[in-house]
Amino acid sequence: MADQAAPQTALLAGVPGRSRAWMIWLAATAALALVAPHLLASGFGISLLNRMAIAIVFALSFNMLLGQGGMLDFGHAVFFGLGGFATMHLLKLADAGIFLPVPLLPLAGALGGLVSAVPAGWVATRREGTSFAMVTLGIAELAVAFVVMLPQWFGGEEGVSGDRSAEPALFGFDFGAALQIYYVIAAWALLAAVLMWAITRTPLGRLTNAVRDNPLRVDFLGYDPARIRFLCFALAGLFAGVAGGMQALNDEIVTVSNIGSAASGAVLLMTYIGGVGTFWGPVLGAIVVTLLQMALGTLTDAWQLYSGLLFVFMVLWAPGGLSGIILSHAPLLRAGLGHRLLARYLAVVPAALLTLAGLIGLAEMAYRLQAVRSGGAPGRLFGFAVMPTDPVAWVAPTLLLLGGLLALRSLAPRARAAWQEAHTLLARGTPR
Amino acid sequence: MTENTALALEDLHKSFGATAIIRGVSLDIRAGSCHAIIGPNGAGKSTLFHLITGRLKLDRGRIRLAGHDITGLSPHRVFRHGLARSFQVTSLFPRLSVFENLRVAAMWQARCGHAYWRSVAGYPGLHGRVLDMLENLHLTPRRNVPAAALAYAEQRTLEIGLALIGGAHTILLDEPTAGMSRAETERAVALLRRLAGGRTLVLIEHDLSVVFDLADTISVLAEGQVIASGSPQTVRGDAAVRAAYLGTAAEDLA
Amino acid sequence: MEGLLLVLLNGLVYGLLLFMLSSGLTLIVGMMGVLNFAHASFYMLGAYFAYTISVGLGFWPALIIAPLLVGGLGALVERYGLRAVHRHGKLAELLFTVGLAFVIGEIVPLIWGRPAVPYRVPAVLDFPAFALGGINYQAYRLFMMGVSVAIFAGLYAALARTRLGLVIRAALTHPEMVGMLGHNVPRVFTLVFGAGCALAGLAGVIGGNVFTTSPGMAEALGAIVFAVVIMGGLGSIPGALLASLAIGFIQTASVTLDTPLGVLLGRLGMAVDPHGALAEITIARAAPAVPYLLLVLVLVVHPRGLMGARAD
Ligand SMILES: Nc1ncnc2c1ncn2[C@@H]1O[C@H](COP(=O)(O)OP(=O)(O)OP(=O)(O)O)[C@@H](O)[C@H]1O
Ligand SMILES: [Mg+2]
Repeated sequence: MADQAAPQTALLAGVPGRSRAWMIWLAATAALALVAPHLLASGFGISLLNRMAIAIVFALSFNMLLGQGGMLDFGHAVFFGLGGFATMHLLKLADAGIFLPVPLLPLAGALGGLVSAVPAGWVATRREGTSFAMVTLGIAELAVAFVVMLPQWFGGEEGVSGDRSAEPALFGFDFGAALQIYYVIAAWALLAAVLMWAITRTPLGRLTNAVRDNPLRVDFLGYDPARIRFLCFALAGLFAGVAGGMQALNDEIVTVSNIGSAASGAVLLMTYIGGVGTFWGPVLGAIVVTLLQMALGTLTDAWQLYSGLLFVFMVLWAPGGLSGIILSHAPLLRAGLGHRLLARYLAVVPAALLTLAGLIGLAEMAYRLQAVRSGGAPGRLFGFAVMPTDPVAWVAPTLLLLGGLLALRSLAPRARAAWQEAHTLLARGTPR
Repeated sequence: MTENTALALEDLHKSFGATAIIRGVSLDIRAGSCHAIIGPNGAGKSTLFHLITGRLKLDRGRIRLAGHDITGLSPHRVFRHGLARSFQVTSLFPRLSVFENLRVAAMWQARCGHAYWRSVAGYPGLHGRVLDMLENLHLTPRRNVPAAALAYAEQRTLEIGLALIGGAHTILLDEPTAGMSRAETERAVALLRRLAGGRTLVLIEHDLSVVFDLADTISVLAEGQVIASGSPQTVRGDAAVRAAYLGTAAEDLA
Repeated sequence: MEGLLLVLLNGLVYGLLLFMLSSGLTLIVGMMGVLNFAHASFYMLGAYFAYTISVGLGFWPALIIAPLLVGGLGALVERYGLRAVHRHGKLAELLFTVGLAFVIGEIVPLIWGRPAVPYRVPAVLDFPAFALGGINYQAYRLFMMGVSVAIFAGLYAALARTRLGLVIRAALTHPEMVGMLGHNVPRVFTLVFGAGCALAGLAGVIGGNVFTTSPGMAEALGAIVFAVVIMGGLGSIPGALLASLAIGFIQTASVTLDTPLGVLLGRLGMAVDPHGALAEITIARAAPAVPYLLLVLVLVVHPRGLMGARAD
């Protein structure tokens, strides 16, 4: 057993193997969170880390529903945003002189998320599957309408803003500095992630998985599936509220857009790209998508289109997301079957790059054409000056795209076959 | 109804649209017995189970479980009164492991409630109970395999296990051996015999060798009515049953 | 009195447009069990196609060609997209259409630009058919109503009474069986999906010039369409009609009421601080929330919708 090989430190003695692996993971993550801002010692780097931490908590709470419970919540940002508003109102009270320790304010977010998720969940969790999703869409619209209707509470277009450093310093920290608020946010992210992970190991967590797989059977085992869905929904709302509270502290402003459909769409994108089948998938997705958004969002207007295409691509060809891809290859690599895949996989790369170049070329041309039509400059693309108004200029990217697609058509199935072959070999237990 | 009646059905009726499927079924099932329900395809046997367990709403009639009126209760409430069931069409948790399937089925009895503040590993007896059941089902080597990846007979075995592990005093099994080979069927019968211990089993079964092997009472359902009920010997000799079972099955009966 | 009549008429027009829009989705949901999130996007495409065609050929050719184009596009989406995710289940299908809606929503402004395009009501029908309370009532709106009613009648008859409807419904519950009877089940699904999308396209052709044709039109109506389909009961054509009309009337009526909520609640005997946040909302400002409020109310009372047959 691997347990005996591992050194038995006093701290971990007596802890079963699986939990110990998790504790090591946790310690490593905490250590990374501690040193990360010093590795990236720039204001931009720290704000990036903060956004990632917030996204991670939000995506994990979303996956409590989608991945764990099979519930697609189109309005998850409602709880995120209302948690944010709750936190912000307390922050304003604190600004007004009432003693409220700033680092604890995301608790108000948790409460805000929970309180709003209870009535929403009461209505929505009576249904399951696609109907559930549609009902949450209606609830989200309703919530946005209410928030817009009540500018006295939600600040209308401008939203509600506060100042986290306005109140008297707490033990010498006033949380105005980026690094100070980073540690507050990182601590909340770690705490929330650990709690959400712990919940997966409880009876409710396991029953949630069971309801996802087969609600009918759960009903015949003594549990009301609607009640399980409801509890899961309420908890997910609570953690979304925590994420909203973290964001309120970070940005010092919360607006209607934080509860709207774009925010709900963003969390779906992150979670799905990371993969809903594992606990850590959404963490990966939150990190990757936040990075992509930072990198591409400044580089091109087409970021929204690209993320939409990426999402469709994942739904069609990689429904397990990044974590699914990793999980389906890890055992192959461990068994030394990697070399069987490498050649076939590498063959796909040029074709994929060709397709991508064609796609990006067409999309960028189209965006430039819009820019030119509204009186802007077309700019350069891949170092070339582009003339989007000239039909000839569209020929090259179109050819690239078609050529790439044709090549993919013949190469992708071969890569897939190699992968399947490797799995058969693995199942038969004859590596190499 | 006497003191030791586990399940009493009183004049049950059910129609789908204009077609009456269950037409006045009354049955008393003795506590601790193994009661088989047989009958031709489409007789309404599964529908009867759906009515008892709250999956379908009764049109008329009353159901009592160990003296409690369970008429009209939803399935989870019926379960909480001590009645579990298995399905004719295998109904498992495909993405959960065999171990997890059984553990979910045992949770209510282990008083897990809906707890989200306490690890499921910390419930006394739950873990051991699942391990015992795995052993009994001969599924211990497969404990970490997702239910969807099991072979058909293994899935059927797990299906029975889910019904048995929850601690119900009355268990309805809908064709537990359907699709199993001879050897697999024999193992399933042995399993039921071993685990029945004092509980009431109600069994829908087409395989008459299983029926005569296990049952101490047999009821014959045809066109939504009980046409005969009694000990295996009486039912075997009943003329109405022979009429309902023309063909190959009639020779089996003889 | 005339004010009331006008509200009723406007509500009827709006309700019937909603029905036209949701009829295609109801068809798809009822026959295939797929909730097509991109349905309103096909509505938007219908309007834009019609605009482009009507610039060249005029409105009447657009009325035929645009829905056909949208329907063809829908059939392609079903054949090469939906069919591939079908085996991953309903949620995967829904997610696929979510992504599709998003991508269409990004591509449309790329082609036609961000501002609304000047898609106009055809001149032949742009005259006052009658006047009501000093307000002229456009003939085109009567035409809209006529088309909606025709769609309802056509769909209802086709699904309930014809052999095709029977085959389609059987294909949903027993695909293998229907396959063995010699019907090409996948092709039936492609056709149904294409037809549903064509209906959305038709609604776009007819509604796009009365309302606005802009890249935001899909998002503005998308959620309402789902509210209609869920409220009516998944797959029920009469249910969708009922829900559309209910939303149409109530929303139109509430737009015209600018009594503050506080006054209203006061009349009902509830004391509300007259200067508080709640009291100052007028009914008119709450109008956008009406469809969703109705949806939630219906679901609380009737979890399967007004006339729901499908449990799912
Ligand atoms: N939901 C339903 N709607 C309409 N008819 C139904 C429904 N469920 C069952 N039936 C019909 O009721 C009759 C009895 O079905 P049931 O499944 O109870 O038969 P059974 O005795 O279990 O048969 P088998 O031995 O084949 O399992 C059948 O004719 C079936 O077609
Ligand atoms: Mg049956």
